[in-house]
Amino acid sequence: MATRMKLKLKTVFVLYFMVSLLGLVYALMQLGQRCDCTEHDLPKDRTISRLRGELHRLQEQMRKIEATKQPQKQPVKPSPPTIFVITPTYARLVQKAELTRLSQTFLHVPQLHWIVVEDSPHKTPLVTDLLMKSGLTYTHLHMPTAKDRKLQEGDPSWLKPRGVEQRNEGLRWLREDRRAQPGGDSQHGVVYFADDDNTYSLQIFEEMRSTQRVSVWPVGLVGGMKYERPVVEGGKVVRFHTGWRPSRPFPMDMAGFAVSLKLVLANPEACFDGDAPMGLLESSLLQGLVTIDELEPKADNCTKVLVWHTRTEKPKMKREEALQAQGLGSDPAVEV
Amino acid sequence: MPKRRDILAIVLIVLPWTLLITVWHQSAIAPLLAIRKDDGVDGKREAGGQVQDSKEYCASDKDIVEVVRTEYVYTRPPPWSDVLPTIHIITPTYSRPVQKAELTRLANTFLHVPNLHWILVEDSQRRTTLVTRLLRETGLNYTHLNVETPRNYKLRGDTRDPRIPRGTMQRNLALRWLRETFNANSSQAGVVYFADDDNTYSLELFEEMRSTRKVSVWPVAFVGGLRYESPKVNAAGKVYGWKTVFDPHRPFAIDMAGFAINLRLILFKPQAYFKLRGVKGGYQESSLLRELVTLNDLEPKAANCTKILVWHTRTEKPVLVNEGKKGFTDPNVEI
Repeated sequence: MATRMKLKLKTVFVLYFMVSLLGLVYALMQLGQRCDCTEHDLPKDRTISRLRGELHRLQEQMRKIEATKQPQKQPVKPSPPTIFVITPTYARLVQKAELTRLSQTFLHVPQLHWIVVEDSPHKTPLVTDLLMKSGLTYTHLHMPTAKDRKLQEGDPSWLKPRGVEQRNEGLRWLREDRRAQPGGDSQHGVVYFADDDNTYSLQIFEEMRSTQRVSVWPVGLVGGMKYERPVVEGGKVVRFHTGWRPSRPFPMDMAGFAVSLKLVLANPEACFDGDAPMGLLESSLLQGLVTIDELEPKADNCTKVLVWHTRTEKPKMKREEALQAQGLGSDPAVEV
Repeated sequence: MPKRRDILAIVLIVLPWTLLITVWHQSAIAPLLAIRKDDGVDGKREAGGQVQDSKEYCASDKDIVEVVRTEYVYTRPPPWSDVLPTIHIITPTYSRPVQKAELTRLANTFLHVPNLHWILVEDSQRRTTLVTRLLRETGLNYTHLNVETPRNYKLRGDTRDPRIPRGTMQRNLALRWLRETFNANSSQAGVVYFADDDNTYSLELFEEMRSTRKVSVWPVAFVGGLRYESPKVNAAGKVYGWKTVFDPHRPFAIDMAGFAINLRLILFKPQAYFKLRGVKGGYQESSLLRELVTLNDLEPKAANCTKILVWHTRTEKPVLVNEGKKGFTDPNVEI
């Protein structure tokens, strides 16, 4: 009995040993061969790029914290003046695209506060989501335009002034917000009216940052010309180079000037006049704020074009409309 | 005596298993664990970020939302990574009043994308100073090429006639440059994308295309007279057709901005180019893709082709009526 037991145990052990040895040899053979690692690579790459983005963001955060060892509400004196960009916007097909590429430009500009004012009775989820994901400092407002002041389908774009109520709402909020924040530094800033279809170079924001009252510069592709600009002699603006109605008090485009925050706060009644005749919208604001010889010329004495009045075509929807008539339109849940 | 033998036996049994387990652990389990760990860490970080943001909400006024965020600011492109595949963006461009504006805002977009290489090909006899200076000032990683489309190939009359493909020679030149510059065997991982200078691209798009193995596809807004055109994806995640109204039976009924190609595929098939002559309207993309890949090999991106990450916007031609015949403005000022 004992020997049989011993033998059995011995064979069991030997068997066990042989199996494990074979298993080890097999595993070691597998080690030497190439594996199809592509399935591991894809999620790895995605993780890596996500992590890198996260890393950069955190590094930026760390740098900010190290530079200003004070809480957010009390900005450090050497921080540059904030540029408040007021952008009126309205729902149409290209809205998301316009706001997307605008936000991509603004992301490069430090100390920028984007004030987006929707022409709508309530905030739309499209703009809310976009602003949330943009990574920018922003304020989301809304102000509907009265029906009789709104452009109807088929109206030419110059028939009625656009964005007036929205820009005024932006100004109103800014004044209210700054009043609530005491302290000299919160009065430092520049206000710029940026439409959502124009194109802005990064230099224009650095040029306008030093605005003391109202600064001006050329605007490309506006007024039926390659560019419009103030004419500068001896460091002062003497007249305006424009092809259309140069007799206006301030024959400039909305994108061609910036107002210092101090001036906006010091003149609480100054706003855009929606009843002003065509082309006089800018003048309706600036008339109450500044005179021509007080204007500060930027962009190398107004010789460089750093902002362009581009306009985006309305996309042709003939086929979409035909499909929708048949009830086969594209999925409205997919946001465009 | 039996004790020693027993011990020896036990050791001889246990040792191979421990070796096996260590080896197996290192090769197979560690990567899986790492990925799971990363997801967990990311989730924590995001949750932390959200908590921070909510603290800074203006609790007083519910109607108006003000959010103060930590800034994500790049004035230079992000540092180059040795791991991320490079995205080679081929953009044909030509001189017209809005050119500088278009290239400026395109550059502003590209400056956010890591490992981006911009191949800008001008339709001109010589490289213009406008583009040269612009590229240099952006700080992007770029290659500046040029080839002039011969007059008889150029647009005749109506510039909006889609049957005459614009930018074909320029894109082909860029493909040839890639093939001459990169070696098929030892090339760094790369993805090729054709980006026209008037479209709008979200930053998410570039991260989606980075993982392209052969050819990846996604929906494009405002093409084909629709809100968007998109590939049809079945439950297995494969492309089986095209959701378009304009000629959905094209081999690849997709816009130039709707696909990206792995660089290796371009290099392995050096004969594949865009067809220059005799191409029907809307078939230009097919003329290249059918030489590279079949429908089955396409990889759908953008959440199985349900999200719009690129818009085929077009910029209006500015009306320069007030310039007159002689030109009112100083021609030396660059616009």
